[in-house]
Amino acid sequence: MSPVIKRRGEEFTLPSKYLLFILTVICISTIIITFNTSVFTGPLNSFAGVFVVPFQKGITTVGTFLKDTTDKLSSITQLLDENERLKAQLDELTIENTNLEQEKYELTELRNLYELDAQYEDYQKTGARIISKDAGNWYHSFVIDKGSDDGIQIDMNVIADGGLVGRIIDVGPDWAKVQAIIADNASVSGMVLSSSDNLIVSGDLEQYRQGYITFSKLVDDADKVSIGDKIVTSNISDKYLPGILIGYISTIDDDSNNLTKSGKITPAVDFEHMNVVLVLLDQKKNAH
Amino acid sequence: MNIRRLLFNFIFIILSFILQTTVFRVFDFGGVTPNLLLIFTSSTAFIKGDKSGLVTGFFCGLLVDIFFGSYIGFFALIYMYIGFIVGKLHEIFFTQNLAIPILLIIISDFVFGFVCYVLMFLFRTKFNIGYYMTNIIIPEIVYTALVAIFYYPLILSINNSIDEREQRSAKKFV
Repeated sequence: MSPVIKRRGEEFTLPSKYLLFILTVICISTIIITFNTSVFTGPLNSFAGVFVVPFQKGITTVGTFLKDTTDKLSSITQLLDENERLKAQLDELTIENTNLEQEKYELTELRNLYELDAQYEDYQKTGARIISKDAGNWYHSFVIDKGSDDGIQIDMNVIADGGLVGRIIDVGPDWAKVQAIIADNASVSGMVLSSSDNLIVSGDLEQYRQGYITFSKLVDDADKVSIGDKIVTSNISDKYLPGILIGYISTIDDDSNNLTKSGKITPAVDFEHMNVVLVLLDQKKNAH
Repeated sequence: MNIRRLLFNFIFIILSFILQTTVFRVFDFGGVTPNLLLIFTSSTAFIKGDKSGLVTGFFCGLLVDIFFGSYIGFFALIYMYIGFIVGKLHEIFFTQNLAIPILLIIISDFVFGFVCYVLMFLFRTKFNIGYYMTNIIIPEIVYTALVAIFYYPLILSINNSIDEREQRSAKKFV
């Protein structure tokens, strides 16, 4: 007799191998569906918003509070010394500031002259706190505490410390998932600021452990690009706004095809100790 | 499956996930966190058998997929099969000994890491398996095993108390 058929007086039970088979089919079909469409994200994201995100927010807030308090207590003496030092520095900086003020005046003059429209200080942005990081150890993505209710949409750029962090890849009502540029499956179209040569910046798990991300496909026949050059997001990227700082070149190697170059970049952002990020509310496809 | 067990499983899955993504991210060693969801899947499978194991694994994986997976169902599949295979050993081994479940958790974490490497990295022509082994898979196993020494007895004792209640209420009706 088949074990699936219900017998009189017995509770209906499904043998585990059938259950395994059914769930396997479900999983494979959802993988295929999500590979091609985004049907499920709505309801599942609201589920996450109700059950998981509030706890993550709470724990992160408490954790940050505790850490801040201990830091405060332990660093009072340190702060007193630092205060002395900073006061001295302040005088120096005031002088420097006046110099810079003059230079800035000159700069704005020149910008107006060339009608160069703005760096990313002009973009609208909103601050957000990181509330949880990837469950696995393979990729670098994290969740922030603002979502579609705060006007965040997929593909918005995320920055911190003046450098590029990544972009939004998934949004719930009050949370959003950010894929970092150091993730092994992420790549960004970049540009060398000094020479405007385009290159591809891609995250690499092996390199990141040593504090680098990699770049490739740099065409630089004239050998103009050198170590220490600034890399920013390029004008031709379709997801990232132009001119956001990514990092600085630390090594350059010739590729075996002798046409392109590749190497390593030191990222501008410290991804290990990042708590707060800024989301740029302007998107590439809408801007200008 | 009564309501109490259902509630316990639900709370524990959510708790494991939240701890894994927040608290243990602060206490990480070299950027590696223990895989609490895998501990919970393997423990449930080992204590209750293959069916509970595969259902628990499915929901644990689904939670990871919702938050961090690119495709929904990918991690659910991996966790589910680990739960099912560990659950098959439920009939073979005696549950009261701590060494065997910890060993099983270690093996299942290794299998998990290896499958992740093959599916997500080897297929994208990243062949340096030694690097991934020494920097991610092995540290994760060690950390997971350490946490499992404390986590498994907790799951076991709560499970036993629920079992006892179930038996008591079953006796009432006889």
